[in-house]
Amino acid sequence: MIFSYNWLQSFFRGRLPKPKKLAEILTMSSFEIEKLEKKGDDWVLDIDVLPNRAGDCFSHLGIARECAALLNLKLKTQNTKFQPKTQNLDIKNLLKIKVENSDLCSRYTARVMIDVKIGESPEWMRERLKVCGLQPINNVVDIANYVMLELGQPLHAFDLHKISGKKIIVRKAKKGEKIITLDNNKFNLAQDILIIADEKNPLAIAGIKGGKKAEIDKNTKTIVLEAANFDKIIIRKTRQELKLQTDASLRFEHGIDANLTEQGINRAADLIQKICNGKTSKGLIDFFPKKVFPKTIKLELDYIEQLLGVKIPKKEIISIFQKLGFTPIDQSIGVKKMLLVKIPTFRLDISIPEDLIEEIGRIYGYDHIKPIFPLAVLTPPKRNIDCFWQKKVKNILKETGFTEVYNYSFINEKDAKIFNWQQKTLIELENPLSAEQKYLRPCLIPNLLKNIQKNQKRFNEIKIFELGKVFRTGLKTGVEEKRMLTGILTGNNMFYQTKGVVDLLLNKLGISNVWYNEQEMFICKTKKCAEIKINGKGIGFLGEISAEIKACVFAIDFEKLQKHCSEEVMYQPISLYPTAIRDLAVLVPREIKVADVLNKINIAGGKLVRDVDIFDIYEGEKIQDGKKNFAFHIIYQAEDRTLTNKEIDEIHNRIIKVLEKNPSWEVRK
Amino acid sequence: MDLKKLKITAQKDIKSAQNLAELNNVFKKYLGKKGELTRILRSLKDLPIKKRKTQGKLANQIKKDLELIIQERKDKLQDAKYKIQNTDFDITAPGKSPVLGHLHPLTLVRRKVAEIFQSMGFTIVQGPEVETEWYNFDALNIPKEHPARDLWDTFWLKPKNKKLLLRTHTSPVQIRYMEKNQPPLRIIVPGRIFRHEATDASHEINFYQVEGLMIDKKGKITVANFKAIIDEFFKGFFEKQTKIRLRPSYFPFVEPGFEIDISCVNCLGKGCSVCAQTGWVEILGAGMVHPNVLKAVGLNPKFWQGFAFGVGMDRLAMLKYKINDIRLFYSNDLRFLQQF
Repeated sequence: MIFSYNWLQSFFRGRLPKPKKLAEILTMSSFEIEKLEKKGDDWVLDIDVLPNRAGDCFSHLGIARECAALLNLKLKTQNTKFQPKTQNLDIKNLLKIKVENSDLCSRYTARVMIDVKIGESPEWMRERLKVCGLQPINNVVDIANYVMLELGQPLHAFDLHKISGKKIIVRKAKKGEKIITLDNNKFNLAQDILIIADEKNPLAIAGIKGGKKAEIDKNTKTIVLEAANFDKIIIRKTRQELKLQTDASLRFEHGIDANLTEQGINRAADLIQKICNGKTSKGLIDFFPKKVFPKTIKLELDYIEQLLGVKIPKKEIISIFQKLGFTPIDQSIGVKKMLLVKIPTFRLDISIPEDLIEEIGRIYGYDHIKPIFPLAVLTPPKRNIDCFWQKKVKNILKETGFTEVYNYSFINEKDAKIFNWQQKTLIELENPLSAEQKYLRPCLIPNLLKNIQKNQKRFNEIKIFELGKVFRTGLKTGVEEKRMLTGILTGNNMFYQTKGVVDLLLNKLGISNVWYNEQEMFICKTKKCAEIKINGKGIGFLGEISAEIKACVFAIDFEKLQKHCSEEVMYQPISLYPTAIRDLAVLVPREIKVADVLNKINIAGGKLVRDVDIFDIYEGEKIQDGKKNFAFHIIYQAEDRTLTNKEIDEIHNRIIKVLEKNPSWEVRK
Repeated sequence: MDLKKLKITAQKDIKSAQNLAELNNVFKKYLGKKGELTRILRSLKDLPIKKRKTQGKLANQIKKDLELIIQERKDKLQDAKYKIQNTDFDITAPGKSPVLGHLHPLTLVRRKVAEIFQSMGFTIVQGPEVETEWYNFDALNIPKEHPARDLWDTFWLKPKNKKLLLRTHTSPVQIRYMEKNQPPLRIIVPGRIFRHEATDASHEINFYQVEGLMIDKKGKITVANFKAIIDEFFKGFFEKQTKIRLRPSYFPFVEPGFEIDISCVNCLGKGCSVCAQTGWVEILGAGMVHPNVLKAVGLNPKFWQGFAFGVGMDRLAMLKYKINDIRLFYSNDLRFLQQF
């Protein structure tokens, strides 16, 4: 919020520090100064008033009070008492007020000003309004705005002659009611909106904006000044509903001291008398059924040290409270030192001892609190198993040459269509910022593919992965959220490379019982697609995406994967005896899988076959149609002796025999 | 032939051999099939037994010695030959590196943050990204229709009556953890959070935060303690002698609440564009846990107190790596990612 340095200075006889210095002091002990700028003879301070202090500090008086407390300055006594230049006209004969919803309007104060001359406001006032970003309109409206900026109390002025029945009613809007506001906007008023009305029409949206009907114009002579206190929740709801934020609504929705209306209306009346030649009719209408009195809070002095970690002398604590305008009374009982602190009603933010300790802390200065390490029991942190496996998996993929990416948690409508996800399985956003955030991502692939597309111009081979949350509709809370691990490799025929990555990853995670099942996936338009299974349970899939998108993807449900991970590694003794390698080539029909042949070799070979490597798969020239050739290295080794040629030949022949049991298989010798 | 004399001449010949071919000739001359020493060794059998013993011993010793010197000379000549062959070798041509992958800079930052806090006894805890209104707001002393809710622009999920949202901070995990664990406790919560706001160089719709919470018996965890912990964290994280300062601030779930600035790591407090010439960078919100928050999880504020804080990890990464645009973290340009 914008404040004028000169205006703040006007509250003091003594000099305030230079603008820069003042900004620094306020920043360290009250509110951050977001901007400081010279404007003519004045300086503009953009003060980030904290939301809990809006009640008293959305005003120059409030900031001046802060300055007084921080700088130990005395505020000039305010225009002590309002002296109305009255006429004998009693307000009661001029205007009636009725508040129907006292829960939403806790106070309604009104004065009637007579013989008002509408014109321009004086130069000094116009200047101050402009510095604070407000456009001068006419003297009465300017005075209302000026008082709001000065004291924080929003005011409104109506032309009494335009009020039907000379009666003001504070009530909820009726069905079908409309209003045209001062800036010529038309609003249909819902029934939960609080309005100011006369006997016939709405005159204003309470606490937010005045209406055209009783507007002050150049011919206005008699005006009604309104200073009220409206409920902060209804103001907030209404301005959200109508999308209409005003200087008044901003103040009301944060809450204002109900005791401020009288001060505000009198200040305005005083200025109207001085500036617009107006006179005040006798009396003040003041609907104020539940008076507001200062609170008192009990504060144990020991608690201050317990919370801040520094001992501050009692004298200093009392002095801080006094500077803030609080009244501390010593209530110590024996050794238990205690203060009873009376809080002025404008400090809406203070209600518990901790609030008082904050005041002490900031005025005393957080810089004066020395850092001290806490004394705590030496319990070691608990291990987070989720984080552990996440870290491990990321490291493995990094080691195999993958780059980690972080994508947005959203997908758009088009993605959902392309991937054929049913809308009822997706989580839709109520208020997306753009069409790009229509749904929460149910899968990491769409965004990863976009990453590929983006980088493909500059990089030939791309290997990227992401480990992040995906979202689907679920049973319990409506949303099922889980971690997914997804990677993509670009290039032609990347299936086996990808499978190799998955094999390596699972192996490094201590998982051995891995199996791949042929599976069709909507995402994979090729036949090269498989489900990944551990101990017979599916945990994800891998596959080549399509003929145009030359890339292979793997996607693994991380929550399922993690259950199978193991840190256990057991050393296998290294045999001291030599290995012998024999090659074996077998011609099989094309539909036969490597795994089928491998299985047979392993079973027939027994435990002396240490390993079987396939080193060639060939079909084509010199091979009869419908057949293909597998070539294996078979590695023989025993743990307790050197195998003799005779032994090896025996096993090798056994393997050949088993393979040739199948009439369409032919071992090539 | 005098064996000793033979040894001396052989040694001379070996020494004077200038290349491998010459050396090979020397070898043949003495140790080859028809070499002088070989001949002597063969003729030993004709000597009387006594002489055979002494002469044999000597001759074999000389053979060993000569073999050794020839090998040494051979190594030397070979090295020399190799050196001549490689005189044009260009060491300035680029090396051939194996292809390694890269972790995202936010992963690196998260690990560093976790490492520092774990060393001070903080346990890492995580929580859901889709939250209920209760955990994200109400339990944190941010009631409905409170203007403070405007501090957190929120993405809501359909249907709205379910009151589900994307968490706007990691603070709900404070509540979730305290509901299930008795103090004393020390946790940090790194995780993704969401804000419903327009993006620019310093704002994103999703980004990362790390939450900290330390609760112990009343009087045991103070503002002074918080200052010590957080100061240690920043010094460790930036590996510089950073200074911190606390300013009053307002978060409904703490009281007192403060904003923490650190001395600018870019200019070391002298003033630069990173810190808008102030020498300080706003980086972290914190405070002493509000009694209403403790009550919301069933802890009695008369017996327990502590501090909580939240710091943006993207911001930490930006300061650490001098990155000037938060959107780079989610743009996934490999030219960016492969720098880490």
